[in-house]
Amino acid sequence: MIGILDMNMGNLRSVTNAVYSLGYDPKVIHDQEGLKEASHLIIPGVGAYPAAMRQLEAMNLKDAIKDFASTKRPVLGICLGMHIFSTSGEEGGGAEGLGLVPGEVLRIDTQPGLVVPHVGWNNIRFLKEHPVLEKVKDGVDFYFVHSYRYVCEDQQDAFGETEYGDAWPSVVAKDNVIGFQFHPEKSQINGLKLIENFCEWDGKC
Amino acid sequence: MLKRCVKCGLPETYETIEFDASGVCNICRQKNFKDASIDWKARKVMFDQLVEEYRGKYEYDCIVPFSGGKDSTFTLNYLMRKYKLKPLVVQFNHGFMRENLLKNNERTFKKLGVDVLSFTPNWKVVKRLMLEALIRKGDFCWHCHTGIFSYPMHVAIKYNTPLVIWGEPSSEYTAYYDYRDNEIEEVDETRFNRFVNLGITAEDMAGMIKDDFNLDPRDLAPYAYPKTRDLKRLKYRSVCLGSFIPWDVKRNVEEISRDLGWKGDEVEGMPPGKYPYEKIECYMQGVRDYIKYLKRGYSRVTQMTALDLRNDRISKEEADRLVEEYEGKKPPSLQLFLEYLGLSEQEFNEIVAKTVVPPFKPDFETIPSAPNTWDFERWYREGKEKP
Repeated sequence: MIGILDMNMGNLRSVTNAVYSLGYDPKVIHDQEGLKEASHLIIPGVGAYPAAMRQLEAMNLKDAIKDFASTKRPVLGICLGMHIFSTSGEEGGGAEGLGLVPGEVLRIDTQPGLVVPHVGWNNIRFLKEHPVLEKVKDGVDFYFVHSYRYVCEDQQDAFGETEYGDAWPSVVAKDNVIGFQFHPEKSQINGLKLIENFCEWDGKC
Repeated sequence: MLKRCVKCGLPETYETIEFDASGVCNICRQKNFKDASIDWKARKVMFDQLVEEYRGKYEYDCIVPFSGGKDSTFTLNYLMRKYKLKPLVVQFNHGFMRENLLKNNERTFKKLGVDVLSFTPNWKVVKRLMLEALIRKGDFCWHCHTGIFSYPMHVAIKYNTPLVIWGEPSSEYTAYYDYRDNEIEEVDETRFNRFVNLGITAEDMAGMIKDDFNLDPRDLAPYAYPKTRDLKRLKYRSVCLGSFIPWDVKRNVEEISRDLGWKGDEVEGMPPGKYPYEKIECYMQGVRDYIKYLKRGYSRVTQMTALDLRNDRISKEEADRLVEEYEGKKPPSLQLFLEYLGLSEQEFNEIVAKTVVPPFKPDFETIPSAPNTWDFERWYREGKEKP
């Protein structure tokens, strides 16, 4: 059963539909109890970093997610869901994250002619192999919507990068945790393949 | 004058064609790649592994979608003789199966000893679908193409048989999938939507015809691709044998003629005796080729000589002569087709004229007729042509 975390911050429908149509059984999770049944956890994310962390605290899920990850079950963060894997984020005055993939989340550097947020299709250059990235071609496009970007403390945790202004990590991973800056649930065949790979993943690298 | 590939003669109105600086088309280029750069030994090993993964574990080892033409007959024969598989043959009857083909099928099934499931959809629905697809796309074969590619997938689910093995990969003829990607073409919903269904799903089609046709919502189920979830839960694989062994049509035909007594046939508008193994399945083939000619300025003669030219099996002069003599003739089956759809030839021409692919401009006035094939008198007729 694939758990999909509901932080009361946006629409989970496309992620749920994607998981369902790929043949898996999604279950929307609201509390610690729900986490027990899940073999995998997906944290979708729409919204602001500090608001998400406050929400996790309020729902008593901050430590529960860390505990879930410590059981070696696979965890996928999407966009903001990935951002909160970091040690901290600077958005909205700053907040502390889950610290699952050490790093910080900073605003995309503004440059002349560069529109922020970064919205639309952009490609990913894979930096390393990973079971979740299997059978997806290097350099194909995925759908992005974001104003903040991940900065890994250890470059070994960056598995894919994308260029918008500068190049920044668009896939981060550490042990049984993986995060996508883009929205695989909105990225057609290649995105669905990533979700399928994740649902098949045993959390080992 | 249409621009044509300097090697094979295919014109610029051919689907997915592109020409390089020397005037050679991408279909010729990927054929070179197929011959020179694909590691066919490795591909064969991949196929061996695939087959072993599924052998003996389900109701059947695999599904073989089967028309009875050279490709599906070769595929079935190959899988049963070389791999000793127990397949379920699935046949979607488009409504126009010819006598020689039916005899071939019976001989093949009996000689090989195999279970066969044949499905014939409602003819009244088929006629309405042909008319709608003709009007919308200038291609009346929607029911056949969607049925052939989706119905066997429904059967795979119903019979809990996840491996589906087709014959020829599309990269032999078009560049929707490219041998050069060195990827295995999956015969899946993406491919179905990319070029099989003309951009019209069964759901779309239902909306298009529901106002003037007494449609039961279930009527179009055979033409709808099964739900991805159902296929994924089955852990299905749907591939072409020709992605794993180099597809050589002439050699394949020799093999099935020798092993199974498979016989070719004459086809309307084709040079007699020259390509007796191609498209012998359907007595509306002549109409299909004729429409193609009116839309795109070439027909099956050009396609067949293009294959031969690409394989250096024919001279350019001989190819030009065949095209000049046989291409673009009006087939006798057009009469039957117009009767089925209740159209006059004038109405038919007006519909087709709207789907012409530029820069070709058809001349509807001066088209000579092709001769009857031997079995013409036995084809199903609906009644009088609309005056």
